Amino acid sequence: MKPSFSTRAVAFLAAAALLAVTACSAGSGTSSGSSPGGDQNLAIGLVAEPASLDFTTTDGAAIPQVLLGNVYETLVKQDDSGKIVPSLAKSWTVSPDRKTYTFDLVDNAKFTNDKQFTANDAVFSINRVKTAWTTSLKAAMDVVSQAKALSPTQLQVTLAKPSNDWLFRMTTRIGAMFSESGVSALATAPVGSGPFKFSKWNRGDSIVMVRNDNYWGSKPYFQQITLKYFKDATALNNALLTGTINVIGTVQAPEALSQFTSNDKYQVIEGTTNGEVLLSFNNSLPLFKDIRTRQGIRMAIDHKALLDTCWAGRGKLIGSMVPPTDPWYEDLTGVAPYDLAKAKSLLQASGAAGKTLRLRLPTLPYATSCGQVVKSQLEQAGLKVAIDQLEFPAAWLTTVFKNADYDMSIIAHVEPRDLGAVFNAKYYTRYDDPTLQGYLAAADSGDEAAQVDNLKKAARRLSEQAAGDWLFLLPNLMVADKSVKGLPTNAITENFDLSKLAR
Amino acid sequence: MKRLNPSLIAGGVIVAGIVVMALVSFVWTPYDATLVSPASRLLEPSWSHWFGTDKFGRDVLSQIMVGSRTTLFVGVVAVGVAAVIGVPLGILAAMVRRWPGEVIMRGNDLLLAFPALLLAIMFGAVFGASTLTAMVAIGIASVPSFARVIRSGALQVMRTEYVLAARAAGRQPFPIALRHVLPNVTSLITVQASVSFAIAVLAEAALSFLGYGTPPPTPSWGRMLQESQEFLFSAPRLAIFPGIAIAIAVLGFNLLGDGLRDRFDPKLEDRR
Repeated sequence: MKPSFSTRAVAFLAAAALLAVTACSAGSGTSSGSSPGGDQNLAIGLVAEPASLDFTTTDGAAIPQVLLGNVYETLVKQDDSGKIVPSLAKSWTVSPDRKTYTFDLVDNAKFTNDKQFTANDAVFSINRVKTAWTTSLKAAMDVVSQAKALSPTQLQVTLAKPSNDWLFRMTTRIGAMFSESGVSALATAPVGSGPFKFSKWNRGDSIVMVRNDNYWGSKPYFQQITLKYFKDATALNNALLTGTINVIGTVQAPEALSQFTSNDKYQVIEGTTNGEVLLSFNNSLPLFKDIRTRQGIRMAIDHKALLDTCWAGRGKLIGSMVPPTDPWYEDLTGVAPYDLAKAKSLLQASGAAGKTLRLRLPTLPYATSCGQVVKSQLEQAGLKVAIDQLEFPAAWLTTVFKNADYDMSIIAHVEPRDLGAVFNAKYYTRYDDPTLQGYLAAADSGDEAAQVDNLKKAARRLSEQAAGDWLFLLPNLMVADKSVKGLPTNAITENFDLSKLAR
Repeated sequence: MKRLNPSLIAGGVIVAGIVVMALVSFVWTPYDATLVSPASRLLEPSWSHWFGTDKFGRDVLSQIMVGSRTTLFVGVVAVGVAAVIGVPLGILAAMVRRWPGEVIMRGNDLLLAFPALLLAIMFGAVFGASTLTAMVAIGIASVPSFARVIRSGALQVMRTEYVLAARAAGRQPFPIALRHVLPNVTSLITVQASVSFAIAVLAEAALSFLGYGTPPPTPSWGRMLQESQEFLFSAPRLAIFPGIAIAIAVLGFNLLGDGLRDRFDPKLEDRR
């Protein structure tokens, strides 16, 4: 029988739908299988893809990791040892009352939209943090009372009160310099003055950066750098083994590191980071308002065993929110040592024992891995833990970070000096502690010695109050082709500086 | 009485073994399957841990036992979903001729055009990875095969004299479907269910492997495979044991399906 028209039409539609599906999968397959190419190109494998390219309105460390220092520049930046050094500002002076900063700016920097960088752009960028930014980090700019262009190359910033923190914050994303005419499409087309230009973003796969040949400073070696994102730790390792990428920006399967250490083709870099892996508590919940619950949970976790089990023993136990590279670091692992019997009695006393807590994890390898150990250890102390995985970044950022709809979570906070930013009533930890805020305020306004002293007190306070549990500090584990030079030993800033890489 | 064929026996024994293992795991496993024990991580197989331990120090044998529950649970629900939707659709398409029947079957073809795994991954992306999402997605993807097979069986039944007689006597379509058609396609449903079960087991393993299935720490054979990737060179047994378990389960259900088909299909019976 000859098929009727309607039969053929339906068959055609079905075939078209099938073709569309196979075409989609073929497309993604082609892009993910691209080779890093010649000597002037480099491909770096990373894990967490940005949710947007606009860090003025979207949280997440993945955005400044890519853009800061590479596409956007700041007036001042941190060198490898953490010291503040010139960038777009050649030099700066501070008034005796520590309230007025005068910056002398470079006169040859240009944005990628061909506009010259001037003090007016700096004023615009600083003011814009207060008016247009929506992320909680913008609070660091509240202390600025006025920003004024004294000349095209001279900027004066007046603070409402002396602040030790402000100049440091200017090395982070809030210090990024924007072009007044280049902020219309920050989420998709960033415009900066840095050594690289944003080229394209294949969502779910990669971000491509090309060298800014008009860059005012020394030009980067690589003509094109592709940042490829992998959800799966083993796929990331395999991508290096097969030559799809040249660098694993952050090793996510440390157990499998031996396949690289034993191979002459690769170099393994191990250093430290700012990434405190935090078991966060939703401190706004009645159960977590009771310090005995928080302390009980901290004491129920055998941190050494946890680190050995979920991150192959690589990393460092810290006990509070300060990494060893900060001047006010103290080893606070002894504040709440592993003590199962005491943990049980604390949880019993607070009424938490037997209750079910939701551990909402982002789909990141360290969180998935450590989450299972945390669940098992807390259950031995009498809690019940229900693990719930949320797709990272979108679902986790909305549910946990924005709406605070969680009991506990695990995430690495990689922003530098983030103690005050993470533990406050507005952040997802919902930690409201006037004593802590007092220490932070005193640290900010005092002299250098007072800053160190008060931040030590703040870190100890957090640890004693068990505002969260610091599982460990992520190591900076990188593996790369032996020919790649300039990789940082430590990752203590918000950005991955691509301009220093060479072959 | 019909002779039991070797496929049916072998398949039945394997499936029964898995069911028994799953049932036993409710009351006894050598160790707690989810208990993390850092002191005994990555142990080689020994008398105390027959299949060794994984990177969390969990006993692999206990995990395989408890994982069989996930496998069976997903299979039962996925096949249930497929049967509950597919069987009525197949019977309906056979009974309602002309365009409504055609619409059902072409819609069925459209669904068939989507690879089952792709559909399940889409479900996982939209509704979040969970055992439930995986089960429903695998179930929906199996609907077309049920509808097709049942339609062809129902078409044969519809031509039989007792159905023609019932229709001539003025019986309504629904009672005919329920009293005459459905009981006569039960054998087809059974065969299709056991074949779909094998596909569901494989699909669940694949989804868990990709991170779209059963979330941790609930043991699942597919996720055991995923977690073993890091150790493929240093401890390949972590991939081998769940791999063998999946292979045996799929083989068992396929043999059972073959055996049931041979037993129920009169034409094949004649050929023997």
